[in-house]
Amino acid sequence: MELDQLELNTSIEEAEKTKPYYTALVGWSVQAIEAAARMNRPFIVVGPAEFQPYAEKHDIPFVGWDFNKLNEGSDQLYKQLRDMGAELAVPLYEECVEWAGALNARFREDPKVFNRSLLLRDKGMMKRKAQISGIKVGVFEEARDKEDVERFLKRVNEALLKLEGDHFDPIHVKPLDKAGSVGHLAVYTKEDINQIQDTDFPLLMESHLDGQEFSCEAFIHKGKVQFLNITEYVRLGYSNFVPASPSLEEKRPLIEKAVQQLVDAFEIEYGVIHPEYFITQDGTLHFGEVAARVPGGHIFELIERAYGFSAYEAQILCSDPSTTEEELKEFFPDPYDYQNYAGCLMVHPSIEYVEDLKIPEELEDHPYFEKHDMFTPPQGKVAERVGFGNHYGTIFFFGRDSEEMRDLLETYETYNFYI
Amino acid sequence: MPQTTGALAERFIYALDQLAQAPSFVKSKYQTDVYQEANRLIDADDGFENLYQHAARFEEAGVFQDGPWESAEKLQPPLVAGSLKAKGLPMIIEVLSELRMLAIAEGKASNTNVTRTMAEEFLNEVMVLNLNLLFPDASESARIEKHENDEKAEKLFTFLSTHLSSTALIQTLIHEIKRLTAQRPIMIKRIVSMIRMAKEMVSQDTEKNDTTELKQFISAIEGPSPLSGQFKDVHAYRSQLKTIPRADLISESVALATSMRDTGLVAPHHATLLRFLSKQNPGLLTYALSLNSKGSANLEENRELVIQLIRSSIFPGTRQAVYGLAMMLERGVLSHSPVAPGLRRLIELDIRPDVRNALYSTTNTGEGVTANSILVAGTIQVLGQPLGVGQGFNPTCQAARGISLWAQHAPGFLLEIIPRAARDGDLDFTFEGAQIHSKDLKGGLAPDLDKELDPVSLVLVPHLDKIYSEMMTRVALRGEDGHRWVNPAFYGNWVQKGFSSVFDPITGYVLDYNGFIKLFYATHHPDYNDDYELIYPNPVGIFITNVHGKLLGLHAVSITRIAKDPQGIYRIYFYNPNNDGSQNWGQNIEPSVNGSGEQEGESSLPFDAFTSRLYAFHYNPYEQGDAYAVENTIVQNIRTLAQESWGRDYTWV
Repeated sequence: MELDQLELNTSIEEAEKTKPYYTALVGWSVQAIEAAARMNRPFIVVGPAEFQPYAEKHDIPFVGWDFNKLNEGSDQLYKQLRDMGAELAVPLYEECVEWAGALNARFREDPKVFNRSLLLRDKGMMKRKAQISGIKVGVFEEARDKEDVERFLKRVNEALLKLEGDHFDPIHVKPLDKAGSVGHLAVYTKEDINQIQDTDFPLLMESHLDGQEFSCEAFIHKGKVQFLNITEYVRLGYSNFVPASPSLEEKRPLIEKAVQQLVDAFEIEYGVIHPEYFITQDGTLHFGEVAARVPGGHIFELIERAYGFSAYEAQILCSDPSTTEEELKEFFPDPYDYQNYAGCLMVHPSIEYVEDLKIPEELEDHPYFEKHDMFTPPQGKVAERVGFGNHYGTIFFFGRDSEEMRDLLETYETYNFYI
Repeated sequence: MPQTTGALAERFIYALDQLAQAPSFVKSKYQTDVYQEANRLIDADDGFENLYQHAARFEEAGVFQDGPWESAEKLQPPLVAGSLKAKGLPMIIEVLSELRMLAIAEGKASNTNVTRTMAEEFLNEVMVLNLNLLFPDASESARIEKHENDEKAEKLFTFLSTHLSSTALIQTLIHEIKRLTAQRPIMIKRIVSMIRMAKEMVSQDTEKNDTTELKQFISAIEGPSPLSGQFKDVHAYRSQLKTIPRADLISESVALATSMRDTGLVAPHHATLLRFLSKQNPGLLTYALSLNSKGSANLEENRELVIQLIRSSIFPGTRQAVYGLAMMLERGVLSHSPVAPGLRRLIELDIRPDVRNALYSTTNTGEGVTANSILVAGTIQVLGQPLGVGQGFNPTCQAARGISLWAQHAPGFLLEIIPRAARDGDLDFTFEGAQIHSKDLKGGLAPDLDKELDPVSLVLVPHLDKIYSEMMTRVALRGEDGHRWVNPAFYGNWVQKGFSSVFDPITGYVLDYNGFIKLFYATHHPDYNDDYELIYPNPVGIFITNVHGKLLGLHAVSITRIAKDPQGIYRIYFYNPNNDGSQNWGQNIEPSVNGSGEQEGESSLPFDAFTSRLYAFHYNPYEQGDAYAVENTIVQNIRTLAQESWGRDYTWV
């Protein structure tokens, strides 16, 4: 090899090393795209094909993908992204978790990353893994048909020593792979079983857990929880606020320990997880379920409002193995360092036909009121609720006192904004 | 405590700033807040002023990005009212869009595609189309159709009107009134309400020319003669008529008739005068109608019948029939032998209760006009103004076209079917040997007929509509355009049997377009068709396109004449049943309604421009000229016009 040729080669190598790598955002979220752009990170969006024209119009590097169609194409997607310069994938919603897992397994050359992502997509497997790892869960079983559900309901209540004629304790059923509360149903009686849709099978059944339900958003890097947010549910799917009220926040050390235990058990290394727990008066934690994506309920927005950092940026930062410890330290605030509570109420019409929108003046004039995003609807039938996803609008609050916040959220939860 | 306008304005500015700073792909996230805050300001005192202060920034900040209001140059004035009436978001964005236009019109903002003049014209047109919001009138329909957003829309228009020049606005309005009256429609409700509104707008600074023009229209409906100007109340006017000498009666007659001839509008006094003259001085009727020699002769010939018709049907409540009567006499329709008995039959016809009620709804309550009077007056109008028949807000252009054609060429037939429908509630047509009775049919194109129609249409359209639909259903599966068979059967033997369409019936593709154009030229254009004249109206199908040339749908019109205009250019004169014959069709194709040799009620376009919108026509297979002789440049021009407008929605082979 000639001398000048050698020189040329090294310069190429150097260029390769310093070449900025791309982050693949898997799913579609303008907030995440905005965050990536703000961080000056080169990114590629892997999203449903219907967003292609929008992406083209706004010069967003875009690869169209159908996440619901199982195929052998992940390899092709990987190669396409690799050729574009991508080195990591960040999942934005539920259906994207295993796709991002598959991609990251290839990027990091660690096949187990994919298996771990599947763990987060199967609620039965998830529970079993938690149980094996010594995490407290309720009694659970998987059901393939309505007979399975009936048998389980009976056996759980037998174990609770219920007598003939007693009211049964409910069991909960949820499809194994749906997001959040989609298809979730509490079954009290045999009649309730008929409400389960055939498409919801196979599903997970579990005994009812007592206690206060809450969620955590844990930002994880190198297998360690870098920042833990606790979200207090006022009513699941309707209202929540960040950070949790003092009575729940004082259990923070306990919760932090439990979340780290979960991270270790599930061998989660990078990204964000969103587990849900039940906590009893005496501080016993029961694990509900966990997801590895952007949580619902506008929780990321609430975190940004309360703590002042963008949770979307945090997710991208923590998903990248090459983020340094200094960067993380500088990025995350002290979890005890907040001034106010940020809460939101998700509004869903309580009637079948909506004609008008009525926002009470006292609400808009309340010092905690920040904004809402509801407009007078065009007249029509209200869409049936699927999970807690398609609420009609959201009202945002921000204020000093968690009790006042809870009161506000409870007061307006039953208010008929749509008439 | 409610927030002050100042506080709301600050919130709005904050939201607008956030939106302006956002990268283009994330605008949607911030637009919601801008709309929310704008909505609060719209409701606040001086809200529009506050919003307008920032209107110059709206476009750049991305307020309209990725939505239907994005491109200012594509917005259309007729759609504004709908958005303003819609609840919620459309109303808010529409308001912001109007303010954006105002900023462009006042030179505060610039838009590469919309000039100051264009923006001003846009707003003027919006105002004219929504005058009822600027001057809410107490009319029955406005009261019933009161929308919740009307108050906000009123506020918006009041705000806009303070910024727009009232001169330009009145000019636009006068232009609009002239445009509509030029077509001499039978239904004049909209014209009358526009005149009333213009009257309210006139102020000290209105240009003198405009005032003069406007005054002519105002007096035309309120009393254009010396006596009617003095005695607005028709009762007082009637008493006065008894006292004045013959010479004054003549000048009174001439004054009223002149106004009617100039505007096509009839004052209530005119009806009173006609009734008075028919009893006391029938010799003066010819002055009161300002008849030409043919009209006078027809009047002389049928004097008894005309007097009978006036007594039984001309009242202040049916005053527009005065114009219809004058035109009917000049057309000489009464000389057709079936017409006189046909009209006499209507005077005493036993009208069904449902038809009776429908007819009553055409006049105001308390005028005491009988259903028979209304029907006779309506028939006189249709016979006098066959091109004034309109479809109203109904998709029933076919039925309107039929009534118009029969009124022109088959008044006897028309006078047969009117009593059939009004008395028996049924019409029967024979189609390919089979009887079709409308009373046995359901549906039709317009099951909920809008009642804003002339009396004859009110009686006939429900039946004609169903029969036409039934005929089309019966030929639906023949693999060819059904109009080929239905049109001759429905309209009668006046329709030629040859038929050509641009579509391949099986695939719906545009097939041999050049051949289609050449055939149309060879059968219709005097330079190529061996001088065969068009004798009866030709019912043709056209593509209706909007101002940007985009296809809106298919429409039925009738070609009435083909002749050279005053500039020596061959034009196609046609009857458009939508009574708004001068809508802009894009590509500089804008039908004219007067000034290019049109007769009352006709629209016209240069031959090639009309051809570019044609999709089907009838022709006489025995009267074809030289298709091969049509120059390629003509064909190519038309083809380009077609491909760049409606042709974009079809496959060409």
